[in-house]
Amino acid sequence: MTETDQKSMLPGFLGWIDTQIGRVEAVILAVGVLLMAVNTVGNVIGRFIFQYSFFFTEEVNSIIIILITFAGIGYAARHGRHIRMSAIYDALPTRTRKIMMILITIITALTMFALCYFSIGYIMKVAASGRVLPALQIPVYMTFLWVPVGFAITGIQYALTTVKNILEKDVYLSTYMLEGYDDSEIEI
Amino acid sequence: MAIKITTIMIVLLLAGLPMMIPLLLGSFYGFYELFGGISKMDFMVQQMLAGIRPASLIAVPMFILAAEIMTRGQSATRLIDLVMQFIGHVRGGLAVSTAVACTLFGAVSGSTQATVVAVGSPLRPRMLQAGYKDSFVLALIINASDIAFLIPPSIGMIIYGVISSTSISELFIAGVGPGLLLMVLFSAYSMIYATINKVPTEPKASWSERLVATRKAIWPLGFPVIIVGGIYGGIFSPTEAAAACVLYALILEIGIFRSLKLRDIYQIAKSTGLITAVVFILVGAGAAFSWVISFAQIPQEILGAIGITDMGPKGVLAVISISFFIGCMFVDPIVVILVLVPIFAPVVQSVGLDPVLVGTIITLQVAIGSATPPFGCDIFTAIAVFKRPYADVVRGIFPFTIILAAVSVALIFFPQIALFARDLAFR
Repeated sequence: MTETDQKSMLPGFLGWIDTQIGRVEAVILAVGVLLMAVNTVGNVIGRFIFQYSFFFTEEVNSIIIILITFAGIGYAARHGRHIRMSAIYDALPTRTRKIMMILITIITALTMFALCYFSIGYIMKVAASGRVLPALQIPVYMTFLWVPVGFAITGIQYALTTVKNILEKDVYLSTYMLEGYDDSEIEI
Repeated sequence: MAIKITTIMIVLLLAGLPMMIPLLLGSFYGFYELFGGISKMDFMVQQMLAGIRPASLIAVPMFILAAEIMTRGQSATRLIDLVMQFIGHVRGGLAVSTAVACTLFGAVSGSTQATVVAVGSPLRPRMLQAGYKDSFVLALIINASDIAFLIPPSIGMIIYGVISSTSISELFIAGVGPGLLLMVLFSAYSMIYATINKVPTEPKASWSERLVATRKAIWPLGFPVIIVGGIYGGIFSPTEAAAACVLYALILEIGIFRSLKLRDIYQIAKSTGLITAVVFILVGAGAAFSWVISFAQIPQEILGAIGITDMGPKGVLAVISISFFIGCMFVDPIVVILVLVPIFAPVVQSVGLDPVLVGTIITLQVAIGSATPPFGCDIFTAIAVFKRPYADVVRGIFPFTIILAAVSVALIFFPQIALFARDLAFR
């Protein structure tokens, strides 16, 4: 199963935006990991061959890991890939599962929206403090900008899944992932 | 407050919410109670971000990336072939090879799920053909894959090390002893099983075949050298070893074996990023949770209630072992580590236990719990990978659980099994 370019459930322009956001998230994940690898590998080579460590490696990695995490939670929500303990849930009858999935997605969406709101508060506080990263001299708040975005996107994805479960007959794990093990891919 | 938070979290968890939600709502509730409302919630976000930022955590995505590259390339297959050529012919040879191959693969990958797929998929059909019962084969694959938890690199150990401020290098080296012990015991059980069930032995490989297999596997054997050798010799930090593995995996699979193209690397990076994000949001939520329960002194409350301070070091280790074992029977190991390590931290410190020993014992329990019914997460990996019903997958697990329990007890009474190599390298 490919994970690219599934059609958004949203109509028209909103659907287009949703699809583009999904693409951006995928690019952040892939490019983020590659940059982190180049940065970390480069630092090791620098230290062993040229006896010189990059002064910025740790700061760059900490920026990238935040980007990967918060782009990734949206992407994982889109593809139904967040880890859950579904053993009890799986044993329930379909009707109960459907009601539970609606509740699960509502609770998850609300938690994400709340965190989006709180993280904006946190970023404003950091921005007001004027802190900068010691080596890179970038304002710290800028490295957190994707945090509320990631929470919001994740919340929207779960909210859309709620709607999808109300509208459609089957039980959906994410906006286009049906529940079940059969066609889900296995990765570590 | 402790009871309310625990109830909230267990209910949400068993109801099947994404695992970040119980952690997040548990922390929400804690912050709400502690600060009388939502005025300090931005502080919770701060704790989350602080939780995912430590530089040593970068080892996690790097090891995942290296393992993904070599699993999709040829390194994994070549390692399995090597093991088969050398020990495939002994009694129970295929099963013993599986145990050894899982250990060897564990030395390049920090994840049990990857090991189940990489070693189990090619070896299970061969074992079935040779006459092993599927219940034995599945149980062997699940349990032997869990050796990967203990053999460095180990993602569980990295996370334990970061949240308990314990040296990850020392943890990695301490895991080798118990990991090898398990490999030996699983191999012994496999031989006994094959003898009792009269499984025919495989033909012995000729020395020329062995030479070919060795030559093919010589490059992938560099991974354990980089990780164990590099860390043991004090050359690399775990993050540096992880970076070196990524570089080495790229050189092997793209440059030497030519099994992957640059385009594949993009896909591999994307899937690494996804796995990383799913783990790191848990680590962030776990950090917020850990902060709030420590601030509210909940660990002391719980530990006081069970009277742990009077139990002495061995008693404490026993309680820790049982708690982690039970936890992992139900929930993903990373979540168990994130929740329980801060709870036990005060008592580990007050009875003066070696945090490296505690970390090794925890990792062993995580390995056992993950392979134990009802809900050990590797059982579900096996169900998904091999498409077998639950009952078939769990039927043969019990003998392995006995072996694992015996090693757990041994580790509490003879900590040198874990600490010997650590003391040799770092003391």
